[in-house]
Amino acid sequence: MGKIWGFGITAAVFFSVVWLWTRQIENELGVSSIISGWALFAILVSLALYNLRKRLPFLPLASSSRWFLFHTVGGFLAVSLFWLHTGISWPAGFYNQVLALIFYAVSLSGVIGLIIEKVYPRFLTQSGDEYIYERIPSHIAEIRKKAEDLVIECTEKTGSDTLAQHYMDTLHWFFQRPRFFMNHVLRGQGAQIWVQQQCSLLERYLNVQEQTYLNQIFALADTKRKIDLHYSVQTLLKGWLLVHVPLSAAVMALVVWHMIVIQVYFQ
Amino acid sequence: MDENSFAHDKSPYERPDAPFRCGRGVFWKKPCHQGPYVDGRCGGTSECTPLLKGDRWQCKRPNSAGGPCADGPTPQGECSFHRLPCSPWPTLRVIRGRLALLAIISIAALVGTSQAFDQIESRFFSSSDARHLTKAHKNFSEEKGCSTCHVAHGKGPVEWAKAIFTKTNLSDNCVNCHAFAGPSSKAHNGDTNKYPNLQDTQCHMCHQEHKGDQLNSNLLTSKQCNFCHKTKFESFSNGHPEFPEKYPYLQRNTINFDHVTHLRKYFEDSKHSDNAPEKCTGCHLLTLAGRAVRSDGFDVICGKCHSKDIAKNKLNLLRLPEFNENRMDEKAVLQACNIETENMQVKIKKSTEEDFLSVSTDVVTKVSAYLLNLEENDPDAYGQKLQDLIMAMTEEGTAPMADLIEQFSGKSQADKLLAGLNPEVLKRAACAWALNLEYEPPAAAKYGGWFADLIDVGYAPLEHGDPVAKNWIEFALAAASNQDDDIRLKNAVAMRDQILSPKKGVGACAKCHAVTAHKNGNGKDELLMEWKIKWPREKPYVYYAHDKHINILGIADSCANCHVIDNKADYSSSFKNFDATQFTSNFKPIERGLCVQCHSEDQISQECQLCHIYHLNSGFKSDMTAVKTIIHKKEP
Repeated sequence: MGKIWGFGITAAVFFSVVWLWTRQIENELGVSSIISGWALFAILVSLALYNLRKRLPFLPLASSSRWFLFHTVGGFLAVSLFWLHTGISWPAGFYNQVLALIFYAVSLSGVIGLIIEKVYPRFLTQSGDEYIYERIPSHIAEIRKKAEDLVIECTEKTGSDTLAQHYMDTLHWFFQRPRFFMNHVLRGQGAQIWVQQQCSLLERYLNVQEQTYLNQIFALADTKRKIDLHYSVQTLLKGWLLVHVPLSAAVMALVVWHMIVIQVYFQ
Repeated sequence: MDENSFAHDKSPYERPDAPFRCGRGVFWKKPCHQGPYVDGRCGGTSECTPLLKGDRWQCKRPNSAGGPCADGPTPQGECSFHRLPCSPWPTLRVIRGRLALLAIISIAALVGTSQAFDQIESRFFSSSDARHLTKAHKNFSEEKGCSTCHVAHGKGPVEWAKAIFTKTNLSDNCVNCHAFAGPSSKAHNGDTNKYPNLQDTQCHMCHQEHKGDQLNSNLLTSKQCNFCHKTKFESFSNGHPEFPEKYPYLQRNTINFDHVTHLRKYFEDSKHSDNAPEKCTGCHLLTLAGRAVRSDGFDVICGKCHSKDIAKNKLNLLRLPEFNENRMDEKAVLQACNIETENMQVKIKKSTEEDFLSVSTDVVTKVSAYLLNLEENDPDAYGQKLQDLIMAMTEEGTAPMADLIEQFSGKSQADKLLAGLNPEVLKRAACAWALNLEYEPPAAAKYGGWFADLIDVGYAPLEHGDPVAKNWIEFALAAASNQDDDIRLKNAVAMRDQILSPKKGVGACAKCHAVTAHKNGNGKDELLMEWKIKWPREKPYVYYAHDKHINILGIADSCANCHVIDNKADYSSSFKNFDATQFTSNFKPIERGLCVQCHSEDQISQECQLCHIYHLNSGFKSDMTAVKTIIHKKEP
């Protein structure tokens, strides 16, 4: 908490200095947008450095959590400087409008990303298990194989295909790949209820031996449900960057173009 | 949860920067433990890459994937386990990188395409067009487009690169059309000789384009004004310097209209009270109210009482003076005048036989004294020259007089000075004078203009603004300013004083019109008659909006609210000299306190530019009209 205050106060001081500087320049009948523009550019570059920091984990460049905090506070500072630079009115001209539109899109995606980063990780912790995103396909394949092995074993040992028939009709779909994506994202209980329904529906038709196998399959389905939760949430945690980072790159490209145009047209 | 599930022998190491992931995993099948190569090829066609140790191949499948297999490698060193290759998919990291690259390429393509669009006429979308020019600028920049102001526009990357490293000033292009009375790049277009430390300014500091149809001119704040001005203060009501002692009556009016005598004396006189206006707006037109509330013209507000004064005061061009002796060649005169000798013989004989007795006992006019450079009171001195002129006029009418004037002012001016003078009239008068007779005109001159009567040739102005009278006044003023010779200067000054006499001068123009000393182009003082009402602009950076104040205060009392007549002021004496700054106003000075009554905190605005104008006499250059002509020609 102390860190965010530190970054927040630093950002507020930085913005105040730039704001006072622009006021001073305006009092001197100067062009204040040059100062606010360069300050905004400096902040945007420093925000973009976070991506570089991730690529250089071996360098002692402070912890990623500090960078994330800096990136978050810097993002809000960038929006403030953008308004100081352009005013709150919608800009004129095609490329200025494109630049403003993408800048706001980046800012909005950043805010959404911040909410995602702050809200969803605790759900993963609450689930009690830890799954590496890249290994989820492997986990699902393993669970699926275990479930299918149990179904075959049940059929062979009990001589009844009730469980196998039910598995093929319902649970087979569930074990094929991650399911209930949006339900997990929205913190719904849909997957849990569905699994329970499928198992409880079958329970009355099984004998004691078959119920033992059903209980083992239910345990596997519950594990699969948790993996699905991890998959959904981690996809969200990683996926928002697919919007934020490309848009940020577009903003930086347009900012460079903007600076060239300013130099050519207004120097 | 198994705390050791990520131990090195249970869990393979997931490289975060791996560019590809196993294609089987993409479709939710069991991914191989080796995973793809960095170049995107499948790395899972075998379980391991066996290692030759001594003379035996050993299985190198890691414990996390089940440890060494039971079959082990083949004798040739190949893995005994084979599976079909998959199609590895890029990881999210790579997809993100590709999307970012795509975004940059898209922006570059957008910019490049729009730059191409810049080159053609229809700039549907442009990466450099800021759009939304003001209406005025949009119209005149239609032909050249952006390059009207931005010189590097549309000139390609090389010129752009040069422009980045070349300092240009946008304001240079502004002054192609806009003009000011002082340097355009200095604060307030001020006089750099008077204020050498004036700050450099650029137009776009205050005037910003591309902000919409209306020009976005930033009104200066008090802080901005205080930045340069040495006298710093909070606001108009708090610290603003007091107005000058005589404000706003710092300079003499161009028209000598004494409000005190008119309002307190003439308008109260029963003779003139019918012509008196009821209030100030009887003479001052509210419809023209702005910096000043201009008055109506002479014919409307002055003519009722003063129009007769104009025709009554004549110009005395020539007068037959007293001659001591007759130097005329009578025969030549008779011949030139085409007079029958029989009718005139007796008179001529009489005058020649007896001692010469001049028909006139007057002196020469001031005008002829100046033109002929004469001593006006000495008949012996002027006799010869004047009789020669009269003799010449008997032969050529106005031509000798015109030649005489041309010596001083050129033919054009001479033509204007003698405009309307009938040569025959002048010739007949000259003929009579040459014969030592008074000229008897066929009829009295009733309608003004040039006339000849007895011993005079003169001019009676026809109406207010008579051009001949004005030209003679200007001629006299110029003559008195440009003489080196003492006698000629004396004569010129005498001529000027007579012509400018409020009571006897031609048209009595100087009764109302002020004569003011100005510096001419050569730095010399010259006198000019103020023919037109010039509303004083000795403070060009100050603007008082009469119209808005009258709207608020009402017509009835709003003038007197600020303009209080000073009954003791000696207004007319200010017009006896030529220095416009030596002036006593009809009105008492206006003090800042009067304005502060309304313009103060929590009342009416106190912004500096409410009363102060930033630019010095801003306007347009004359060739702006030429631009319009070109545009019209191109219209179908």
